[in-house]
Amino acid sequence: MMQKSERKKRVLVAMSGGVDSSVAASLLVEQGYDVVGITMQVWDYTQNECKLEEGHGTCCSSIDVDDARSVADLLGIPFYVMNCEAKFKTHVIDDFVNGYLEGRTPIPCVNCNTFLKFDHLFDKMKELGCDYLATGHYAQIQKSPKTGNLSIVTSEDDWKDQTYFLFTLKPELLNHIMFPVGDWTKPELREYAEKKGLVVARKKDSTGICFIGKSGYAGFVEEHIDKKDIIKGSLKLYPTGDVLGEHNGIHHFTYGQRKGLGVSYSEPLYVVKIDSKTGDVWLGPEQHLYSNTMKVSKINWLDEVSKDEPLRVKIRYAHAGSEAKLVSHDPSNLAVELEFKEPQRAITPGQAAVFYRGGQLLGGGWIE
Amino acid sequence: MSDIKPFLYESHSSRVYLDHNATTPLAKSVAEKVPDWLSQWGNPSSIHMDGRGPKQLVREARLKLSKMLNAHPLELIFTSGGSESNNTVIKGVFEHMKSVGRDEYLVGALEHPSVIKTYERLKTWGAKVITIPVNSSGTVDLETYEKHLSEKTALVSFMYANNETGSIFPIAEMCEMAHSQGALFHCDAVQALGKVSVDLKALNVDFASFSGHKFYALKGIGILFAKKGTPQVSLIDGGAQERRRRAGTENSLAIASLGAMADFAEQVTERSDKVRQLRDNLEEQICDKLSGVSVLCKESPRLSNTSNILLEGCDGESLLMNLDMNGFSVSTGAACSSGSMDPSPVLLALGLSREQAQSSLRLGLGWGTTQQDINNFVETLIPIVHRLRELKQKSG
Repeated sequence: MMQKSERKKRVLVAMSGGVDSSVAASLLVEQGYDVVGITMQVWDYTQNECKLEEGHGTCCSSIDVDDARSVADLLGIPFYVMNCEAKFKTHVIDDFVNGYLEGRTPIPCVNCNTFLKFDHLFDKMKELGCDYLATGHYAQIQKSPKTGNLSIVTSEDDWKDQTYFLFTLKPELLNHIMFPVGDWTKPELREYAEKKGLVVARKKDSTGICFIGKSGYAGFVEEHIDKKDIIKGSLKLYPTGDVLGEHNGIHHFTYGQRKGLGVSYSEPLYVVKIDSKTGDVWLGPEQHLYSNTMKVSKINWLDEVSKDEPLRVKIRYAHAGSEAKLVSHDPSNLAVELEFKEPQRAITPGQAAVFYRGGQLLGGGWIE
Repeated sequence: MSDIKPFLYESHSSRVYLDHNATTPLAKSVAEKVPDWLSQWGNPSSIHMDGRGPKQLVREARLKLSKMLNAHPLELIFTSGGSESNNTVIKGVFEHMKSVGRDEYLVGALEHPSVIKTYERLKTWGAKVITIPVNSSGTVDLETYEKHLSEKTALVSFMYANNETGSIFPIAEMCEMAHSQGALFHCDAVQALGKVSVDLKALNVDFASFSGHKFYALKGIGILFAKKGTPQVSLIDGGAQERRRRAGTENSLAIASLGAMADFAEQVTERSDKVRQLRDNLEEQICDKLSGVSVLCKESPRLSNTSNILLEGCDGESLLMNLDMNGFSVSTGAACSSGSMDPSPVLLALGLSREQAQSSLRLGLGWGTTQQDINNFVETLIPIVHRLRELKQKSG
């Protein structure tokens, strides 16, 4: 709570029109902050059918902008919409499409956080004379009692924790960032929204990638590239190299995929490797999916780590995390090699490897 | 002339409104009559007594407005607003003009979306649409315009004045040029009322569009002027209202509100001059106190109330948000339906770069604006501009 004598601290809150960020805004108002709401319009939903689909397009349709606005009106706070379509296209969509063409399985949400929420919006925070930027992420910021340093830790609600998507945050920004719902559980939060009469209280959770509509990942990629850029090739048996068939483009595949391969074989086959240079998609029995080492590049560190320290490493969002150690670690080099205690299934290029010490987010990078 | 301030209907807000080209607050004298008009709730088309009061409201408004605009009362058609008026003209002449062998349409580059988009529709019907450019100082290239006029030209649509820069176009001259080729002329004059005295006989246009809520009246009412004898088909078919040129029970309340504004016709020049002094003072103060400032279309004939200022190194979007939070309502370009802010197509059409367009601040003063408002505005604006420029410099 503020003391009466000081100027009220002003917080810019990123409102998507979903229940989490709506509650975040409401909580900040209750806590006595001078709150300003902002929505980033990131995708021209008129380009595709996504706004008409039930349960899809929950972060990019105009209905969401209206929902955010109506929550802001109810709370009586200023509210603005920023057009971020161009930035979103460059940093999120293009990177997503290129990722698939390079045989990776990208997670666009990290780039949206890196280049829009915690860069563009951070600038807006300063421009609007705000002291803090708040989002509806399930994450917490805590101060170390020993060093006084701030760190990001996992949310109270284990199931909803979103720290995986926040590994690119610069440590120096943390004293200007707030995650007001990080110590809430989803059911508590919905109950609160209901009590407050927020129109979004019963809104479905967004699942998956906001701009992907009915046509799915592969369909989306095809809608955004030239036909000639599709990388077709052979389905090959790992490790012999026997050709099992042809495929319509590497963007249809991800590591560990079993369904929709279009081949029949004496035992279940999985995608074990995608080679964007040759266009070959390698299929093999499940044991070839396991590996206990991986290379991670473009790392962002939020705290210092020693070489022999056992880390908890998540290799995809829905991964509990497994113990691993740094094999090589040169602090000036932002690429490392890690060795897991237990072999991991389907370490997938394009996904993020995110490092934790207990619940503390230490940093992360991109799986090569 | 009565004191300026009591002109406006008192609102609960202590904000300073500098966005009169988007909409105007309600005139006090209009607002005060609303309860009386509301009591006349009958259908103006009814034969019984209940229809007579509202019918009289509509008749009286039409008469007063026709005097104000120097037109015949039957040349005025009440519509729902400027957008409907524009749609009605453009779509309404198409069939007839096609039947006489005219299918080319000339349209100004800076027109309102209700003109531009309607022509997009007309293209799908087979019309050829040619855009007439306007240069960065806000003037039309009349030679280019003349070159495109021919015996194929059906209709020319050109606005009286631009809503974003305020520049006024030579409508009478352009209209004469169109007529000499046998083409019809349509003028979107939505921004004119209350800023200049409009004389439709002198302009000699065939069609003109007006809107009530840009002239201190209620929303939901507009006028389409259609000169006697012009071909025009109704956009809305149905009852026989407005001499079959616009079906639908008349919005007598809103019509009466616009009619009441005709009582101010005599004051337009005087009030407009007063607004011009404030506008000029505002520009002078800003140019004095800030570097890197330029005023758009300053050298061209301009509406007395409009100022579009480019503030180098400032993002108009952030400027607007900051001013809003400090109690000032301004605009950075035409407001977009989604509420988000894109660089204004008008400014881009004027030849400005994206960055320049995004540094624009649009101010629209009104009959209720005071010198105190202007002083407060400048005082608030200066530190915001300094802060935004500093931040921009830091971030490189």
